[in-house]
Amino acid sequence: MKLLLVLIAAVVLTVVLGQTAWQILAQPTPVDLRELVAEAMPDSGVAHPITAVLLNFRSYDTLLEIGVLVVAGMAGLSMRAVAPLEAPAMRTSDTLLQALLRWFVPFLLVLSAYLLWAGSDRSGGAFQAGAVLGATGVLLRLGGVPLDFLRPGLMLRLGLVLGFAVFLLVAVMGAIRGDMFLAYPQEWAGLLIVVIEAALTLSIAMVLVGLFAVAPAQATERDWPSREGKR
Amino acid sequence: MLALLIPGLLFTPLALAVLCLLVNFRIGRLFSWVGIIVQVLVALGLWATVADQGGLYYDLGGWAAPLGIELRVDGLAVTFVLLTAVVASAAALHAGAYLDPRKGYQSYFWPLLWFLWAGLNGVWLAGDLFNLYVGLELISLAAVGLVALGGEAPALRAALRYLYAALLGSLGYLLAVALVYGSYGTLSLSGIAELAADHPPAPLILVLAALGLALKTALFPLHFWLPAAHGIAKSPVSALLSALVVKASFYIMARLWLEMGEQAGSIWLAQGLGALGAAGVVVGSWQAFRQSRLKMVVAYSSVAQIGYLFLLFPLSWGVATTTAELAQQGITLHLISHALAKAAMFLAAGNLILAVGNPQVSALAGVSRFLPFSLFSFGLAAVSLMGLPPSGGFVAKWLLLQASLAAGQWWWIGVLLLGSLLSALYVFRIFRASFLETGSDDPFYHPPRSLEVIPMALAVMAIGLGFVANLPLTVMALPVGGGVP
Repeated sequence: MKLLLVLIAAVVLTVVLGQTAWQILAQPTPVDLRELVAEAMPDSGVAHPITAVLLNFRSYDTLLEIGVLVVAGMAGLSMRAVAPLEAPAMRTSDTLLQALLRWFVPFLLVLSAYLLWAGSDRSGGAFQAGAVLGATGVLLRLGGVPLDFLRPGLMLRLGLVLGFAVFLLVAVMGAIRGDMFLAYPQEWAGLLIVVIEAALTLSIAMVLVGLFAVAPAQATERDWPSREGKR
Repeated sequence: MLALLIPGLLFTPLALAVLCLLVNFRIGRLFSWVGIIVQVLVALGLWATVADQGGLYYDLGGWAAPLGIELRVDGLAVTFVLLTAVVASAAALHAGAYLDPRKGYQSYFWPLLWFLWAGLNGVWLAGDLFNLYVGLELISLAAVGLVALGGEAPALRAALRYLYAALLGSLGYLLAVALVYGSYGTLSLSGIAELAADHPPAPLILVLAALGLALKTALFPLHFWLPAAHGIAKSPVSALLSALVVKASFYIMARLWLEMGEQAGSIWLAQGLGALGAAGVVVGSWQAFRQSRLKMVVAYSSVAQIGYLFLLFPLSWGVATTTAELAQQGITLHLISHALAKAAMFLAAGNLILAVGNPQVSALAGVSRFLPFSLFSFGLAAVSLMGLPPSGGFVAKWLLLQASLAAGQWWWIGVLLLGSLLSALYVFRIFRASFLETGSDDPFYHPPRSLEVIPMALAVMAIGLGFVANLPLTVMALPVGGGVP
């Protein structure tokens, strides 16, 4: 009965939403942001509009979004001690995985670097590069490679906030120079964006690997009592 | 001056979040003390500047509105920035003495607090719909992290529930934002307000936003996640959540309503939201009366007090401009006095629980004799919640009463009176328990004076607001451009 009601509500919502969206899309919008972006592109410091919007025109949104990622990573860390890296559950003798790792890891590192670099003039950038780098970390962890920086110490936290801190410093430099918060000096815009993106790539990867590492390797009933006892 | 104040307001909490993440609890506390001083000074400076010269738009990154993101620094925004500075400082100072530095995970309190603070400032000042969404997400995730701090199973369960509710609510709001962007091609609130007259927004936009944001504000019957989360969190965290976090989503809804309500709203939506708020007042108060744990009483009282906020919608739709202004003033004053009083109440409740070592209301027997000071802070806060004169809560209800009469919607008067009566019911139940005599020896732990003073200061402010209500009411109405005449 409950399921039926939810189903009906979902169908009604979808129909109404679809109809409204259809009506809205049929009319032209009074403001055309694409035009405005195109006009401002020469001043943005990069050649790709998406990168320009994310890291220059609407950089404040991106700054806070990175803050959200850091909070997510932090909340994960605060909840659970990282399972020891040498835990038996994390050790593997899977030869196929080991062999694949040898091929994949260098390849993924190059791919991540390429995505970061590509972001300046085509689709790509910190989020994509960070996701690939994060996936590399996950693979390494699955392969039982001890990643020392994942211990909940200073290194992990430093990696977590590095990108955010670099972004924030660049942001406040604008205000210190007497300009607006987050304003880049025109001639440095391109370089600053690349520096921010490189730092962000590392931190985004760190958040992803960190969250993966704090998740229990094998959630068993035994996990909880042992944890309660420690405190 | 403003060229430094606004970056200072945005930068300090974020910078402190980074710094506090890298150090342990004690050093984080030291950093935070410095940060609190800076934030309070900056908030005061900004408030005084806007009161003097009127509001302004601030173009972030030097990019003007439709392309870039602008901050709307008007009277209402800076009033809430100042309120946040007061309440968050109080909660932070309290937490510095309340939390146990020997527990390693507590050190995460500081960075989470500063991210929360940054998100709140961001939402009050935002002039862009998507930026509001990002600010809301920052607030929600930091709040969930704070509830889950420590990770005992019941806290995790409450936090997870809170997370799901918050994400679903955000999704509703995001859908509304997408529809707005589809219709106007811009996300700037001021731009949309200008365009709305010629291009009326689809009614669905407001309905979706209202649904999503009502879930995040815990409007009855979407309040199911609130008592568990606010009741189980550490007391300084509960204070932050009840006083500020739920207000952020309400603030967004109010801003949307005041910009687009005339075109996209309807009498059904306005009266419906008001009716749910009224139901929340009654049901929340009754549930508060029935709780056996002290903090759950205070948490359900939040459900009731949040209900009043939703009277804004019926009292500002299809009524005379002066009536709508009266309603806005009443709601704003209610929001401020509830923030102060509820923060005081949660902190005082935390002190009482610390003193008796038991979260039950029934364990309070004997408190009035041996811990009169803690109980007095709780009582002063309750005076404002009940809306007794001369508190801020009284002035707020008085304004709402007048607005109801002027709007010819007399039925809300009954809600206001019944709500006050019911809140007296659950407050006096706690007093009854604490006035029971237990004997002549003092079995209680006495919290340090620093813990006791903070809720008292907040409660006194909630009461004092009634005397100086005119000042915030004048400043909050200041639009962009034009100071106090």
